[in-house]
Amino acid sequence: MNLILDFAPPLVFAALGGVLSERAGVVNIGLEGMMRFGAFAAAAGAIFTGSPWLGLACGALAGAGAAAVHALLSLRFRADQVVSGIALNLVALGLVTYLLQAMFGSPGVSPEAPALPRDRFGHSALAYAALLAPLLFHVWLRWTPSGLRVRAVGEHPRAAATLGVRVLPLRALCVLGSGVLAGVGGATLSVGLLGQFDSRMPAGQGFMALAAVVFGGWTPLGAAAAAFFFAAGDALQRQLSFSLHAADLRLEGIFLALPYALTLAVLALGIGRARAPAADGVPYDPEG
Amino acid sequence: MSALELSGIVKRFGEVLAVDGVSLSLEPGEVLALVGENGAGKSTLVSVACGLYPMDAGRVRAFGKDLPPGNPRAAIAAGLGAVYQHFMLIGPLTVWENAVLGREPRRLGFIDRRRAREEVAECARKFGLALEVDAHVDQLGVAAQQRVEIVKQLWRGARVLILDEPTALLSPPDSAQLLSTARSLASSGRSVLFISHKLREVLQVADRIAVLRHGRLVLVTPRSQTNAASLTTSMTSDPSRNSGTQYATPHANLDAAGQSWHSQLRIVSPNSDLRLEGKEIECESERGRPALRGVSFRIGRGEVLGIAGVDGNGQTELAEVVTGLRPASGRLALDGDTTFNRSPAAARAAGVVHLAEDRRRRALCLALSVEENFALGRQGSGPWARGRWIDFAGRRAKARELMAAFDVRPPDPLARAGALSGGNQQKLVAARELLGGPPPALVVAVHPSRGLDEAARRRVHDALRSARAAGSAVLLVSLDLDELRALSDRILVLFEGRAAGEAPPDAGDEQLGRMMLGQESARA
Amino acid sequence: MPDLRARIFAPAKDPLWGAALALLASLALSFAAIALSGRDAPAGFADLAAGAFDGRGPLGETAVKTAVLLLAGLSVAVAFAVGLFNIGAEGQLIWGALAAALVGRSQVPFVLLWSLLAAAAAGSLWALLAGWLKVRRGVHEVISTILLNWVAIHLVHGWLVAGPFAAPGSGAEVSVAGTARVVPAAWLPRPIAGSRLDAGFFLALAIAVAVWLFTTRTVRGFEWRAVGAGREAAEASGIPAGRRICEAMALSGALAGLAGALLILGTEHRYPGVFRTGYGFDGIAVALVGGGGVWGSALAAFVFGALRAGATRLQLVGIHPSFAELTQGLAVLLVAAPRIFQPLLARLRGRSAPIPAGDA
Repeated sequence: MNLILDFAPPLVFAALGGVLSERAGVVNIGLEGMMRFGAFAAAAGAIFTGSPWLGLACGALAGAGAAAVHALLSLRFRADQVVSGIALNLVALGLVTYLLQAMFGSPGVSPEAPALPRDRFGHSALAYAALLAPLLFHVWLRWTPSGLRVRAVGEHPRAAATLGVRVLPLRALCVLGSGVLAGVGGATLSVGLLGQFDSRMPAGQGFMALAAVVFGGWTPLGAAAAAFFFAAGDALQRQLSFSLHAADLRLEGIFLALPYALTLAVLALGIGRARAPAADGVPYDPEG
Repeated sequence: MSALELSGIVKRFGEVLAVDGVSLSLEPGEVLALVGENGAGKSTLVSVACGLYPMDAGRVRAFGKDLPPGNPRAAIAAGLGAVYQHFMLIGPLTVWENAVLGREPRRLGFIDRRRAREEVAECARKFGLALEVDAHVDQLGVAAQQRVEIVKQLWRGARVLILDEPTALLSPPDSAQLLSTARSLASSGRSVLFISHKLREVLQVADRIAVLRHGRLVLVTPRSQTNAASLTTSMTSDPSRNSGTQYATPHANLDAAGQSWHSQLRIVSPNSDLRLEGKEIECESERGRPALRGVSFRIGRGEVLGIAGVDGNGQTELAEVVTGLRPASGRLALDGDTTFNRSPAAARAAGVVHLAEDRRRRALCLALSVEENFALGRQGSGPWARGRWIDFAGRRAKARELMAAFDVRPPDPLARAGALSGGNQQKLVAARELLGGPPPALVVAVHPSRGLDEAARRRVHDALRSARAAGSAVLLVSLDLDELRALSDRILVLFEGRAAGEAPPDAGDEQLGRMMLGQESARA
Repeated sequence: MPDLRARIFAPAKDPLWGAALALLASLALSFAAIALSGRDAPAGFADLAAGAFDGRGPLGETAVKTAVLLLAGLSVAVAFAVGLFNIGAEGQLIWGALAAALVGRSQVPFVLLWSLLAAAAAGSLWALLAGWLKVRRGVHEVISTILLNWVAIHLVHGWLVAGPFAAPGSGAEVSVAGTARVVPAAWLPRPIAGSRLDAGFFLALAIAVAVWLFTTRTVRGFEWRAVGAGREAAEASGIPAGRRICEAMALSGALAGLAGALLILGTEHRYPGVFRTGYGFDGIAVALVGGGGVWGSALAAFVFGALRAGATRLQLVGIHPSFAELTQGLAVLLVAAPRIFQPLLARLRGRSAPIPAGDA
């Protein structure tokens, strides 16, 4: 159980970021890249300032920065949103590896970074935040004016525009917000869990967060639940792997593949449940 | 002081001049109708007035105050409200959420749901609009959705209501209701800008009528001083229209024109060879609900069967069943073959052509070129191909031929189909289906002239008649009763998935309307 | 998430120009980035160019990498034609590589041919899985192929190659681990002494031409593009869209599998324990930069291949070779914003020209 609370927060935050962006109508495949930027910036920030909290802030900012590029391309230039997200991931891959080498001299891992403090259960504040955030998000989306407008803009932006809702700024804010959340998710990995940045981070978790969004029916509670479920699967995999000495048996691969295969099976069986916001991924043209 | 004053509005889209220096004013308490053909600029003018697009030149004033261009909020705040042809409603949200979006009543930072619901319900009651505020909009019928649109504007305090082709998708009784709503809004002191191409309705509801042609205002007149004929003349620039062709005037005198056409036909009565026969056809809709519940019909060689009905009563599904896009039970045979509709490919091979309802999705690959779209459905055979290889020269030649036959513009076979205007896209589809190959056994035409101007409409109707004369069976689905009357030999009315009755082509609006609402079952 | 429509490439009306511009711009940006970081940019780029073109050895490296990237890019482009975003080229490539490595160990006649076919088949099946999931279960291919990638990576690297198929006696040292060597008869021949250029390069080119002919000149290719451009309309016109999608995914996977085979049979000659994967992902970049067309992809594959070949020399000026990935990402980023280029393109060509029907 404890393990789940350790593994879940990065996924939860990233998944919430995905939900925020997509409910507003912008597809965000770049969660992986945003997490990567966030993880690295958080570690670097913590190392340079000595404070893990400042590092966390750096991570959030870095995620937002990456999201800003995605927003610019998708909203201002009306580029295809999937392509933009993939490009972001590619850039994140190369740029962060490069920066890791350039700033810390090592292509593998960063030096130790100050990690977030943990309470007597062994959890950092972020773990609890990951439990609270989905609820807050849900309430906001359903009960506040801005939440209503975000939902409107993701389903039928033109209708919202005729009522005076400013579509593009609202979408941009949501994309930035999604970047912040993904960045925090990445930061959770480096500053909240591991205490350093590993060049493989987030090792596919951004994509798993995406799967959580879809699996959760594009709702904050659903996506968070899915994220917890996947994290549970991951934790299970590590327990099994450890106790069965899988490494000796060279069976690691099966266990590592299991979470993804499971996700796929679940998607294959249950995808008909909910649908994406109607205007998701469709570039909005104010003039027609 | 005018309720709405437009001065010298000019609006361009790229190279196209949509509105060319229009000045118009609307007074409080009046219904002003704006008429014109497709592409005349009506919708653009309205969008500019409501702040959806900034104008390139000119000024909009509401109740004496200048409105900042391109600012929908200012327009709304000034009391302008528009109900468009394509509803601007957000399906998954409820009626009240749609109504208050953008101006949500608040309490401590949250939406004050109770107040919102109550206010919207009260507003609907006040104007006699029947609505359930908690219903989700995507589960409402078309007429109810329109009422939501109207309430939306009224709740926001609209003093000027702009209705863009409001009766396009309504049954006759619902249309009549809408017209009376417009009049009662006017008598409550509000102003209504009523945009329509249906001259009969316009002459019923309007105080004054303004005519747009090619982006320019050519006439503004009180209703009492005009009639359908003179309006039509002002609307169109095609002189041949008035020289005794079948449609000397659209709609208003259609009965007379239609009558003469049919009396002509009675001499050459359709051969009674049965081509398409359906018995007890049942099928489900996209959502899994029953759509057709035992419909039977017959279409003979050279015969047009018109299908009337309010949108959503099974016509769409009927067309899909006959073209192989939807499975159904019951017996369906084309020239005796009962397996022809097992798939679209089989239907095509059996000689079925389909002028689809939603042409952008169902009939055209928008990213492909015009000539490639012409090849669609026949791409594997000559002159489009030789064996497994595309015959580019043959394809080009055939495409040019088809483009010329229906005057598809711009006449560039390599243009992207998505770049064509709606009317030209429809012409492309009509040309392809009706002229692209050997004479079809069955023509399934669904709303074939929707969105087309008069000249294009005529071409399509002529082509349908030619198919009929050549012996094809024609299944014509349309919401336009005039069109049905003009083309059909018989009209079958569908109501809730069943045949509510059959009517002759000279049946009146009232009779058809009652059948469309299931209030009368008549066998002609 | 919407289905990918071919229309996303339409704004870049001339895909080849779009590719060329994006590549040039990204190279320029990279140059600027190196200069800004205080390193010697001209020298760096000179070393890069030398590493890619200077002599038989470097040219061979470039050719080898270009070939793999070309096939991977074609794999993605072929899926684009039918409207699918095949991000799974990496996984398909891995299975193809493994298949080639395993079959290539045997002593049967025509072992090279069998190895290539096995690779194509393996990649094809893995891609068909995603295609089937899409057509039958409506699972969006972006997600399913991403997930399948990770499954492939973990299964092959973490289990199959390390366990059942490990060469006997390779021990626990990961760096020498891997499958047994492929027999010499299965090696792709290297015509030029002193260069690692192998027949795979020519094979890739031939395949590119065949793919181009197929997609632009045949009726079946037209049907694929119709499905990609408007699935409902294509279906209504009688084209069996589901079947065509699966056909295209099968070809797409086969191409990716072949890319993997080229790596094994041309360069590595076994499936190594530590395999420099990533060509599959690069293939996505190649296809995107190339606008989904064959010749644009070829250009992109060439530039990226040269970058990879020469990038190791960047270390001579103190720059990590991963910089090449960065340049790639930039190129994709630039191509993803076609409107930046459109006015420029229009001005360059006088007025915007329509897409000639015969070009991919």
